Amino acid sequence: MRTAFLALILALNCLPGGEAKTVRIFMYSEYIDPSLAELFKARTGMELDIQLYEAQEEMIAKLQAGGTDQYDVLVASGVVVKQMAALKLIRPLDQALLPNKANIGAAFLNPAFDPGNQYGYPYFWGTSGLMYDSAKVQGEPTWAWVLDPAKQPGPFTLLDEAKTTLASTLAWQGKSMNSRVPAEIKAASEALVAAKHSAKCLGFAGGVDGKNRVLGGEAVVAMVYNGDAARHLAEKPTLRYALPKEGAEIWVDMLMVSAKTPNPAGAHALINFLLDAEVGAQNANFIQYASPNEAARAKIKPELLANPAIYPAAEDLKRLVYLEDLGRDSRVWDAGWTAVKSQ
Amino acid sequence: MAGRTLIVDGYLTTRPRLYGRGTLLILGAFLWMGVFLFAPLAGLAVLAFATRGEYGGVEWTFTWGNLVRLAGWDEFGFSWNHVQIVWRSLWLATVTTVLCLLIGFPMAFWIAAKPARWRGLLLALIMVPSCVNLVIRTYAWQQFLGAQMPAAWVAQHLGLVPEGSALYPTVAAVYLGMVSCMLPFTVLPLYTSVERLDWTLVEAARDLHAGRLRTFRHGILAQCMPGLLAATILTFIPSLGMFVISDMLGGAKFLLIGNLIQQQFGSMNDWPFGATAGLFLVLASLVALWGLRLVSERETPHARGRR
Amino acid sequence: MSRLPRWIGWASWLGVVILYIPLLAVAILSFNSTRYGQQWGGFTLDWYAKMAANEAILSAAWNSLLLGVASTLIATVAGTLLAIGLHRTPWPRWFQRGSDLAINLPVVTPDIILAIALVGAFAVLREWSAVFKPGLVTLIIAHATFQISFVALVVGSRLATIGRDQVEAARDLYANTGQIWLRVLLPQLMPGIIAGALLAFTISLDDFVVSFFVSGPDSTTLPLLIYASVRRGVTPEIHALSTVIVAGTMLAIILTAWLQTRRDATPKD
Repeated sequence: MRTAFLALILALNCLPGGEAKTVRIFMYSEYIDPSLAELFKARTGMELDIQLYEAQEEMIAKLQAGGTDQYDVLVASGVVVKQMAALKLIRPLDQALLPNKANIGAAFLNPAFDPGNQYGYPYFWGTSGLMYDSAKVQGEPTWAWVLDPAKQPGPFTLLDEAKTTLASTLAWQGKSMNSRVPAEIKAASEALVAAKHSAKCLGFAGGVDGKNRVLGGEAVVAMVYNGDAARHLAEKPTLRYALPKEGAEIWVDMLMVSAKTPNPAGAHALINFLLDAEVGAQNANFIQYASPNEAARAKIKPELLANPAIYPAAEDLKRLVYLEDLGRDSRVWDAGWTAVKSQ
Repeated sequence: MAGRTLIVDGYLTTRPRLYGRGTLLILGAFLWMGVFLFAPLAGLAVLAFATRGEYGGVEWTFTWGNLVRLAGWDEFGFSWNHVQIVWRSLWLATVTTVLCLLIGFPMAFWIAAKPARWRGLLLALIMVPSCVNLVIRTYAWQQFLGAQMPAAWVAQHLGLVPEGSALYPTVAAVYLGMVSCMLPFTVLPLYTSVERLDWTLVEAARDLHAGRLRTFRHGILAQCMPGLLAATILTFIPSLGMFVISDMLGGAKFLLIGNLIQQQFGSMNDWPFGATAGLFLVLASLVALWGLRLVSERETPHARGRR
Repeated sequence: MSRLPRWIGWASWLGVVILYIPLLAVAILSFNSTRYGQQWGGFTLDWYAKMAANEAILSAAWNSLLLGVASTLIATVAGTLLAIGLHRTPWPRWFQRGSDLAINLPVVTPDIILAIALVGAFAVLREWSAVFKPGLVTLIIAHATFQISFVALVVGSRLATIGRDQVEAARDLYANTGQIWLRVLLPQLMPGIIAGALLAFTISLDDFVVSFFVSGPDSTTLPLLIYASVRRGVTPEIHALSTVIVAGTMLAIILTAWLQTRRDATPKD
């Protein structure tokens, strides 16, 4: 029995593993056109291996626990870039290997969380806002539809994401979405408690569940990510996605190179490949998120470009705010969220 | 004392020889668990006294802060939040366990009463649903309880819920999901005890004109105590840490202790506090186990006597 | 035994219904042509074809099976020996109580705590041997670690109800230790061992948190794939796969039972 087990271990370890010919990318599911793997192989001769995570915080925890030598390219939101750099989970890019960075729109270059794009380039971006049924809810979209018990038009769901939901509440109250003031965060958490106890509140839900509720007519408005809403607006002509007048979150997912990547050249080749205009357009047409790739725009389907849930109007863009890593102050947010969910 | 001979299993032996055999039997498992469980958990206990770094790493400066925080003092001063979280988790786990035992005990008898060739089949069929992932099953409950599904239609027409509304998130939905998930873990250990039940003891109790309740308690329950204890543990303890079901079917309006721990390793990136909260749950559960064991020792005089 | 009150049957059927409703819903969804959302879009077998062609799903299913079988084997052997060693040795009271708590430790430890602890242990052990590189081996070790307890608990509760009379009788008939183990103890323990192994196997199949942390890129399991897809809504391919798993398991169980009956029906020597 014991020898058999040892033999098994040996056999498993001798299996051909990830040689330099493979590039591994670690990302959310359904976040890349799978047919790009063949194209990548045709262009570079390397295999593309897609690995999936459910929540980027868990991905970071896993890397922190010693998984950085297992992956080449990491996809994570801009808000965690500073943290990942500080924890030495990502490495500075070799800019010379990324000529396609010229394709990225100026608005998405040199972000505050990554000056000079030292660690990454944007992959896709999006927002969080309200999905609603315009047959049942009228007027200018506002967070009050879900946060003000006096103005809630009908059954609704809140988003089950600590940072996004607290930040949106802060925006509704006219405060900074990245507030570090304990009194402001306390006020926001009290507002959420009041909203939660409203008879019309169907609870906190993930983006998909919230979208399903509005689609099924059980809720008239839900806090969702734009990606969840975008694919379904066509199913019912009265459905809308809007960024509330008080301001909303904008996020951008970054392509980064793992600190101990076994294949640095391949990692850069993959990022450069994904930043290519043609590849970027094909990818954007498939996954239906907003591409920061200016050069790809000409080849993105016009109906996607015209979809306000994917590409917001220029005046809406001005109200969008990036969430920041608040370092030690995130403990205040933790306390606020715990209060929201226990009172 | 060590050199005295004993009769065990009808065989003359000495205590050291029994200890030798016993040690050999348990050595493998305990070595394995020592390396992969006890030692790492002890390491984690140290983490509970460390500090969260600026960017979510761990700084090895000693602090009592995490314990103080767990007790209820946070950035806004003292609150009962954590007490409420613990209380809610205990309540959910208790109700789930009671419901599972109420359904699982009859099921154990029902299976045990079938002809021998059916029992294995039925037992396996009880386990089949667990082959489907928990999230898939819970998602399926969401679909089943949706507004346009037959269950909701019936409830709407009976006037139990307003027109057009779904049957979740509700408390009933949470318990349906919990029981559906935990029931196999209740039935299995119960069955192993019920199947061994010595019915002559039950007959004896009846012959002595014991009432139905006393027959059940002294004739049946006492004999099933080991299985009942295992079933309670395997149902109650996992329910205590479970949060996916209450989030998906209960609207996620209230945190459970499982959420609190997950949150620290997830969005809040505070491993030291996560370790503190997690180890608190472990210790509390061990205390509960100790209590359960004491109760069962008092309740099973027969089993002890038979040894 | 046949004089069970009627309500016992009703309660049992209630339990069976609660257990099988989600499976029924999953099966229906797997035949629904709508990709997202709950609306019924018509009957289709497309998702089964797509599932069968999806390499990621197939390799994850294979990994899950391999992992479940290997870790369950280890845990069943170690856990059964542990239970026998603890219950059949007159250990001092303090040792019995201590090991009782030790066995229950994996049951009471939250997944995420277990995951972080194991990941830390593997990181240390990796310095010493490359075997502990995140992958199938670490997954098997991690799963066996918590499975041992579940097996030991179930087998232990069975052991506690087995009298010693038969062992003594066998001893009186001059059976040696090996014969007692094989002919007396094991057959009586078998239902407990099988129940424990079944329990351990299903827990392995369902585990996400521990698996996520200790797995490597080559060892994606089904729960990892499923949790990743939940963010965008569970895909019908996953429903098709779940239905196939359920149908396959049931078929295997019924077949085994049928073979058993046939074997029992043929007269033995």
